[in-house]
Amino acid sequence: MMNSQGGLYGRELVIGEHLDDELFNNQATSLEVIAEEDSLAVFVATLLASGFESLDEARVPAYNWGAHAAISNGLMSNFPVPAPSCPNCTVRHIPYMAQIAGATRVAALGYGISENSKVCANTYAASIDLYSGDIGAETVYVNDEIAFGVPNGVGPQVTEMIEAGVDFIASCLDLNAMKTIAQELVRQGVRDEITMHHPNSYDHNFVAEAGDIFDGDLVSVTFAPFETSGLAAVDDFLEWTERHGGPVAEQTIFGWVNADLFVQGLKAAGPEFDRESLIEATNTHLTSYSADGLVSPIDWSRQHLAPTAEDRLTNGPSQECVAMVWIQGGAFELVAESDSPFLCWDNSTPDWAEPEPTKFG
Amino acid sequence: MILASAGEDFFRAILQGTPPGTVFALVALGFVLTYKTSGVFNLAFGAQAYISAALYFQAKNEWGWHAAPALLLAVFVVAPLIGLILERVIFRSLRTASAVAKLVVAIGLNVALPAIFELVVGYEPVAGRTPTGIVSGGASVFYDPFGVYPFSRDELTQMTVALAGVLLLGALFRYTSIGLAMRAVVESPRMTEMAGIRADWVSAFAWALSSAFAGMAGVLIAPRFNTLIAPDFFNLVVVAMAAAAIGRLVSLPRALVGGLALGWFTAVFNTFVPDWAETFTWLEPFSDNLTPAIPFVALFGILVLWPEIRRARDVPDPMAGVDPPPPVPANHARHPYLTIGVRAFALCFLILFGWVAFTQADIRWLFLITQAVILSTIYLSITVITGFAGQISLCQGTFAAIGAFTVFQMADRWDTSVLLAAIVGALIACGVGVLVSIPVLRLAGVWLAIATLAFAYFFDSVVVKFSWVGGGDTSLLQGTRVPRPELGPWDFGDDKSFLVLAVIVLIIMSFFVIQLREGTIGRTLRVLRGSEVAAESIGISSAQARIAAFAVSAFIAGLGGAMLSMHQENVNYSNNFAPATALFWLVLVVSLSARTVEGAIQAGAAFSLFPPVILQGTFLGWILRSEDRIPGLFPISPKWRFVLFGLASIQFARHPEGLLEFGKRRSTARLDARLFEKYPLAQRSGPQGLAAEDPAPKVADDKLEADS
Repeated sequence: MMNSQGGLYGRELVIGEHLDDELFNNQATSLEVIAEEDSLAVFVATLLASGFESLDEARVPAYNWGAHAAISNGLMSNFPVPAPSCPNCTVRHIPYMAQIAGATRVAALGYGISENSKVCANTYAASIDLYSGDIGAETVYVNDEIAFGVPNGVGPQVTEMIEAGVDFIASCLDLNAMKTIAQELVRQGVRDEITMHHPNSYDHNFVAEAGDIFDGDLVSVTFAPFETSGLAAVDDFLEWTERHGGPVAEQTIFGWVNADLFVQGLKAAGPEFDRESLIEATNTHLTSYSADGLVSPIDWSRQHLAPTAEDRLTNGPSQECVAMVWIQGGAFELVAESDSPFLCWDNSTPDWAEPEPTKFG
Repeated sequence: MILASAGEDFFRAILQGTPPGTVFALVALGFVLTYKTSGVFNLAFGAQAYISAALYFQAKNEWGWHAAPALLLAVFVVAPLIGLILERVIFRSLRTASAVAKLVVAIGLNVALPAIFELVVGYEPVAGRTPTGIVSGGASVFYDPFGVYPFSRDELTQMTVALAGVLLLGALFRYTSIGLAMRAVVESPRMTEMAGIRADWVSAFAWALSSAFAGMAGVLIAPRFNTLIAPDFFNLVVVAMAAAAIGRLVSLPRALVGGLALGWFTAVFNTFVPDWAETFTWLEPFSDNLTPAIPFVALFGILVLWPEIRRARDVPDPMAGVDPPPPVPANHARHPYLTIGVRAFALCFLILFGWVAFTQADIRWLFLITQAVILSTIYLSITVITGFAGQISLCQGTFAAIGAFTVFQMADRWDTSVLLAAIVGALIACGVGVLVSIPVLRLAGVWLAIATLAFAYFFDSVVVKFSWVGGGDTSLLQGTRVPRPELGPWDFGDDKSFLVLAVIVLIIMSFFVIQLREGTIGRTLRVLRGSEVAAESIGISSAQARIAAFAVSAFIAGLGGAMLSMHQENVNYSNNFAPATALFWLVLVVSLSARTVEGAIQAGAAFSLFPPVILQGTFLGWILRSEDRIPGLFPISPKWRFVLFGLASIQFARHPEGLLEFGKRRSTARLDARLFEKYPLAQRSGPQGLAAEDPAPKVADDKLEADS
């Protein structure tokens, strides 16, 4: 998009090299970038992030999807979107989802093999219990030992949830496991009685192919969903993704936001930019970066460090913002108003409150 | 009332465990079928099943074929064809090879086959693209025969095929002449041929049949995975091994029951133990941690406790005695002057390489060279356990991980010197090696390998999660970071000084391994590798020798793992030490040379440097004097590394000394013949004179000619 408008400072932005990184070679590939010294910055989409620290030491700006919080945390030239977050801080969007689903008895599920997923499940359970009096729901089942890939099936676990009277599942599982659980709920005849929360099922093809098996479920989305209306940034993304023939998906939009952050950083750095000024300008000037409303604002002057349960504000966002969508008929519908996709809570207080429909940008 | 409720829960759990149990049973049946008809413990079964499943999925969903032709192509054409190719190209010449040699080849194929398929067909797994079964509405239409728990059409199809498989295959083996012939060929192809049976044809039929079954199992199982990827099939194979082990790999009905029992036990465990744990708190650790590890604990338990397996021994072909013994290493058979020349050349090469590394290499190449040096140290552990002791250990990555996690924990919690922590980590790994080796002492080759694989998966699914190992909550925000070491005035923080440290550790470990090989333990292990029974008859304790081999091997791996974590300044467990990675290590080392220190070093260099130097075209660019002249086909997909080294392991059974050692022996023999014709081997004196008295070199030369 930038190049079609004449580039930046009269220069075209180009991807100099595309390194098809092999799983075991992330760190070596990062060092290759550093050694060649011909790249201004890197966009990283690796499954594992073992090269982040090397890139940071060499002060190479690294833009990435924020799925590696443990490694990104504290790296000042590493720009994950979303920014590093607090894994064990209670949240309000999960209790709110339980509330709007009309649930009273909640289950929290996580994978045993992933510490992230385990902590997530327990944090969701704690969140429900913290706001139990406000939302009229309580946690009645926690399982943070689900086997990854669920090769043994989840029949006994679903039976146990049914016996516990669960009517809402807060999940920290990937979309594959969500489908397995949904199929098991259908088999045991309770699919219509239990609403599921999906953390990363915002995938139109996946949901469309699944038919009506997810109908009535809620998905949390960390960016403005494509169903948002009146937001130019979403329209631009959809238009340019279609032009390039790329998939309209979660991964693509994070790539888009990464690229936008890079461009905004260059603009802030001025025409004589280099790596150092790019990092400096981003960390100094982009204190409310939202990619024109695609993501909840990030203050890069303080959000390289993850906030903690004891101190959420120093390094954390001022608001807890999440977009939510319902799944209906193999498609998504926004929970909030279509032009204000995010639902936000003020982080200066942990008290319960109704969320504020919000748009950024 | 309570009893009735418990009874109902139990019955429901049995029904809930039946579908996954059937999946395990299908894989176990395929295992048994392959073993009965080929004598191969086919760890590549999962890869074969994956290929058929992915091809069926590709044909049906991507190419728009109907289910019937897609099934015909995937299961009845391609799967048997793969079986026939494997038999003709690889396993026909391995019929009389040891079970361990065949296992290594199967591991290599497991690495290579999925990569070949994905490269040829262009299949790319997509998250959430769920494979569909062979019957319409397979996942959405249910039948509830008992009114307690319904089964889907897909599951009923799986059950039907599993049951039919047991009946039909059982009948085939029991009532048909081809069934008898297949078993006979496994026992001794040569004796079978003496009876007028064409062993080649029978073997080919057996491979086609077992491969078709693998294909069918893959297509039936695929809908269980919502994303179709090869590692899931391999994990399933590891799980199903417990079921196959119950039948000692030869009983189809027992494999069926074993698979179902595993599914039932898991479901019953998940139904009752979490509830009981609320009352009996001592059950909590089991309830919290054991669920994902049940199959691996069951497998390990079956292997070490099942009397039939503990007593099982590989039964070699009675006519295998006509084969020549394995050749001695090249350096034992060559002229002393040639040895001096080779060592001088090696020293010059290393000095030159070291000079280039220290003066010319940028941070990337320094990183890769250091990684190669450290991996060489880790691979020395394979040299000890596999090269010297003749045992296949598939948990060397776990021992290395223990060293790495120890450094992380000691540095993180107590700010201990990382070098001290590395030694402590190596000692802990050594202790764990001893603990693992004791229960598996009585297991024969293949079973020992599988027991170590079960241990690796147990560590992966349970132990890593403990906060005192993997870091728990703290690792979420801090990762598993490890500092570089300091030793008094020496700071190994920068890359070059750390490379020096890595080289020193490698030299010390290499010296240690050479001393071990030449010392009592090494000679004991060599004798045991030749014949355990004969060794025990002259008073050698195989148990002590095995424990010693495991202990030393685990120590070296632990030290190497600790070094690797320091090098990367992070444990990076998933990247470095996962069970599948360690499988590839083994394939690499045995492909090149598992019996020599040079082999471990070459394997380390191959793992670290082969992709950037060869596959990315760097070497070619250097030859052509310009990166611009590198042909467009570079960089070659990294998947080719798996293909090349996976297929190279095929040579292990033919040349157990490894490809490089084989090449070295051949070139040494040629050089020897040209340069030292006047001094025949028998007239040589000095340390190598020992070799002249050994009849093996003559055999080696004969075999060399035959190979040539």
